[in-house]
Amino acid sequence: MTNKQWKTKSQLKKERQVKLTALIIFILISVCFFISLNTGHIRLSPQETLMTLFGQGTEQQSLILFDFRLPRMVIAILVGMGLAVSGAVLQGVVRNPLAEPGIIGINAGAGLAVMLFISFFATVSDAPVFAMPMIAFIGAGGVALLIYILSYKRHEGISPIRLVLTGIAIAAGIDALMIVLTLRLDPDNYQFLATWIAGSIWGSNWKFVLALLPWLLVFLPFIYSKSSVLNILTLGDETAIGLGAHMERERRILLILAVIVAAACVSVSGGIGFVGLIAPHLTRRLVGDKHEYIIPISAMVGGLLLLVADTLGRWMMQPSEIPAGIIVAVIGAPYFLYLLAKTKD
Amino acid sequence: MDALDVNNISVGYSNDLIIKDLSVSMPKHKITTIVGPNGCGKSTLLKTIVRVLQAKEGAVFLEGKAIHTLDTKEVAKRMAILPQTAQAPSGLTVFELVSYGRFPHRKRMGRLSKQDYEYIHWALDVTGLNDLRDQPANALSGGQRQRVWIAMALAQGTDILVLDEPTTYLDLAHQLDILLLLQRLNKEEGRTIIMVLHDLNHASRFSDYMIAMRDGAIVTEGAPNEVMTCDYLRRVFQIDAELISCPYSANPVCLSYQLCEHSVGCKVR
Repeated sequence: MTNKQWKTKSQLKKERQVKLTALIIFILISVCFFISLNTGHIRLSPQETLMTLFGQGTEQQSLILFDFRLPRMVIAILVGMGLAVSGAVLQGVVRNPLAEPGIIGINAGAGLAVMLFISFFATVSDAPVFAMPMIAFIGAGGVALLIYILSYKRHEGISPIRLVLTGIAIAAGIDALMIVLTLRLDPDNYQFLATWIAGSIWGSNWKFVLALLPWLLVFLPFIYSKSSVLNILTLGDETAIGLGAHMERERRILLILAVIVAAACVSVSGGIGFVGLIAPHLTRRLVGDKHEYIIPISAMVGGLLLLVADTLGRWMMQPSEIPAGIIVAVIGAPYFLYLLAKTKD
Repeated sequence: MDALDVNNISVGYSNDLIIKDLSVSMPKHKITTIVGPNGCGKSTLLKTIVRVLQAKEGAVFLEGKAIHTLDTKEVAKRMAILPQTAQAPSGLTVFELVSYGRFPHRKRMGRLSKQDYEYIHWALDVTGLNDLRDQPANALSGGQRQRVWIAMALAQGTDILVLDEPTTYLDLAHQLDILLLLQRLNKEEGRTIIMVLHDLNHASRFSDYMIAMRDGAIVTEGAPNEVMTCDYLRRVFQIDAELISCPYSANPVCLSYQLCEHSVGCKVR
């Protein structure tokens, strides 16, 4: 039941184009995956990498590969996917191409929660690391909820522009609060926090993969199933109501989904911005404005983007690392400016 | 039975009601046009009819059932709306946009069914957009774009079509083009059309039923020759008009008009 005979030529062409795009990105991810496996302080030749992957390596080689590099790369890809999809959903819901998870307070909330958490301990090494994602998740969700409540108005519900403006205001307030609070942190904690906020993928551990994966496995398909709703939400409130969308309900569900996914990502990766902004944009350029295409493709683009950023970050200043969040921002900021310059009306 | 019955609705905020205790009915299989000066509440009335705004008191009945008690998707299968400011994302083709009109008929994950395709192709045919279906919707001219939105509303497959100033921003020929299309849909397929128009002459020429509003209330309603009179035009728009019979519809139209305060009186030729 593909209804192939009913489709127009350009539809079929478009579908082929989308499949091709997906294939190319998949190949790029694979290539980058392999390069990334070989990137780091201790170099492994491609041959050694392959051997280790198939269980033929030395103990040290498998330790590096399986316990350090692989989980980190998997996390980079997953976080990239999640943030990109969350950004795509938000851009659709608030009908603003400049929206990203940061505007609903995800990064600010997670950062604040992590900061408050570590300030309870004398040094970072005392803090239970595995509680961190949970804390960050709660912080991110809490601030997103606060922003939602503050931008909610009786009779009118949520207006996208009010949500964006409230989000910006709250994020700015939290940033300011954090600067004040950091003054009281000891240097070790401060440094941890600074790299956390910059978005180093700090939890390179399979446990963090497990902490993140279920969220994405459940919610990304759910978001994908909402593609047609996202499509008509972008047509404006009146048209969407006319087409029979439960506006308030759908908008709330989609916002919650975007928050959960982004919060889960940020909780293991630290405050990475821009992926949620750029990935959906690049995707729109590649496959157009239908969310059936945007959601899966932007997930792939986001995964690729963050994997590249993390690999670059590990490679550029060896043996020390540049947080992936900073690399993304370095690529993202000029792209953002380019967007603003190109945006008409 | 009427297509829509509006029963004693009040719309707005408690201390600032735009519409107060208004009742009106819109006949089935007819073209009904709401006219009135800026700020008279005609758009508010229209938005309440299509459930974009909620009435504070009273209710709107869609073929006898209170609209707010019906599932919004079920309403969308019977009534399509074309808002005044429809906007499309830049990367959509005409076909994709028109296919969105099938939303109320689709299952959550479903692809477009054979029936969906039939409706979409029919809507593109009727609106003469077949050659443009693969163009990006945003690259079209204003008149063509308005046709795309009408096609989307048609793809929805509803008996009732509600349009808020469908001819605004279009030049003379394109205005007429849209109205003739609506007239055809009404005459050939019996679709109920309800719209707000600014141009009185268009309203008179194309409507079966006219509703004239002022200050959130209905001044008069009826066939164009009952509404387009010197007296009512003076009361609704505060103009003195020279009325003649329209050569195309035989309904009264304004030849020209003058503000009441400068006027020497009204004339029917």
